[in-house]
Amino acid sequence: MFLALKEIRKEKVRSGLIIAMIVLIGYLIFILTGLALGLAHENTAAIKSWDAAKITLNADANVDMRQSFLTKAQAGKLTKSEAVIGETAVVAKAKGHKQLSATFLGVSSQQYIAKDLQLTSGRAVRQSHEVVADDSLKLSGYKLGSKLKLNDASKAYTIVGFTQNAKLNISPLIYGQLPDWRALRGLGPDMAASAVISKDADYDAGTTGSKTYSAATVIQKLPGYTAQNLTFALMIGFLMVISLIVIAVFLYILTLQKLPNYAVLRVQGVPRKVLVGATISQSLLLVAGGLIGATLLTVATAAIIPAAVPMAFDVPALTAVGVGLLVMAMLGGLIPVRRVLRVDPVSVIGG
Amino acid sequence: MAVLTLEKVNQVFGTGIARVQVLHDVDFAAEAGEVSLIMGPSGSGKSTFLTIAGGLLTPTAGTVTVAGKHYADLSKKARDAIRLDEIGFVLQQYHLLPYLTVADQFKLVDKIKRQGNLDQAAFAGVLQTLGIQELLHKYPGELSGGQQQRVAIARALYPDPAILLADEPTAALDAARVAVVGDLFRELAIQHHKAVVIVTHDPRLIPAADHVYDMSDGVLTHAQSA
Repeated sequence: MFLALKEIRKEKVRSGLIIAMIVLIGYLIFILTGLALGLAHENTAAIKSWDAAKITLNADANVDMRQSFLTKAQAGKLTKSEAVIGETAVVAKAKGHKQLSATFLGVSSQQYIAKDLQLTSGRAVRQSHEVVADDSLKLSGYKLGSKLKLNDASKAYTIVGFTQNAKLNISPLIYGQLPDWRALRGLGPDMAASAVISKDADYDAGTTGSKTYSAATVIQKLPGYTAQNLTFALMIGFLMVISLIVIAVFLYILTLQKLPNYAVLRVQGVPRKVLVGATISQSLLLVAGGLIGATLLTVATAAIIPAAVPMAFDVPALTAVGVGLLVMAMLGGLIPVRRVLRVDPVSVIGG
Repeated sequence: MAVLTLEKVNQVFGTGIARVQVLHDVDFAAEAGEVSLIMGPSGSGKSTFLTIAGGLLTPTAGTVTVAGKHYADLSKKARDAIRLDEIGFVLQQYHLLPYLTVADQFKLVDKIKRQGNLDQAAFAGVLQTLGIQELLHKYPGELSGGQQQRVAIARALYPDPAILLADEPTAALDAARVAVVGDLFRELAIQHHKAVVIVTHDPRLIPAADHVYDMSDGVLTHAQSA
């Protein structure tokens, strides 16, 4: 550590350039991670807000809530831990507002999803054609009392409340009543719901024509969700590998330049472990410096980024990414260590 | 008593037609308080002698003893420790770490060898003898060649070794500077009670030596004593 600190202090420009590069790589990784988390959150926020453990869908719906219809018989017997939902895609239209794609979710006011819905303003739905909308609709100019038309329905819906974390598959949710869902989908009264949501991990509807899945399975099957997450994971992984290569190349060059000095230290009896420690601690210090810079930039970005940008700065996740970069730095530092271990002290004897 | 002895040391490199015997039955002893000069032309085996004496190379045959310990009995780690504790090296190119100030070059020794280094009074004496007490906060790049050499000598003396091994210490110096360096090594041997062994082809150092040896084609002969 002593040698590493002294070298970084003396070689300010060189160290500064390496740190600057790591700042940029770290910043890019943090922002991409934030974006990945933000988009993942917008895909699953609603399901997570329901505390869902199991989801029952029509057995032929290909694990897709949008394609699922359950009759009353298929929905089966419900306890306090279950709630039915009726899901349908809608286009919201209102005078003075742009058309907005959203998801209408019919729920029963007697069941836990409607009862537990956390309102940020307004009140719960009490009657037909009243809705509680996701907070993001406020960004489009909607407010309490705003009237909007859904699809080609002739009667307008009134926003009576707003809630947060009401996003499903990136689309904002509009909570209403189950009869309204049936009306929007043109379904008869025998259709109970699209899905049964249960907080009970042991729940299984066990009815003919239905199938119960874990919430995680349904989330993985959300359109585009897995592909999107894999894409981000690949990008972040590649950036990690790039950072490893950058650190390894820089350290390798720096170490090559120092080999005659290290050979002299070996002549003087300085143990190999001291030189190895200097090399690895140098890489860790440079990356730690870069990560601090990247964190500051990320915090600044989080402070000024518009609310509409789907980013989530989750501290544990970003910390894990930071630790990953430190591990990469250590791996990068190990590559020149081989040269340090092979340094021949005899090479500096005899001029 | 001799602090460094080489007995019947032979060194062979290569095999078959590439076989070269670099040292032939070398016997040598260095006493504390004396300066020994190993002289000879390039390729005579001087550097191999220094490498073996410093424990950096195990001879093909023969015995090397430093401060009563046989190199052959020691592990690589123990040899590192012997070099750190008992041998100070002064190399032809001084190779001071460029990113450490002069003071930090000594601090590095403190970090590695926590005990047995020169105490403050003795260290101040060495700095004064070498005339580098004003240079402690400078980096090697800010020093002249002569100043770097004196810092390298102080660095070699700081762990308070019994033996000082110098490799061509006057290679790039003018006559006046050679005399100064010669006097310096003599002073170090006498005042600090070190066994000083200098490998060189520079005859201008002879006045500083107690013993002069000739190395020719790997054969070491005792040429003269003061």
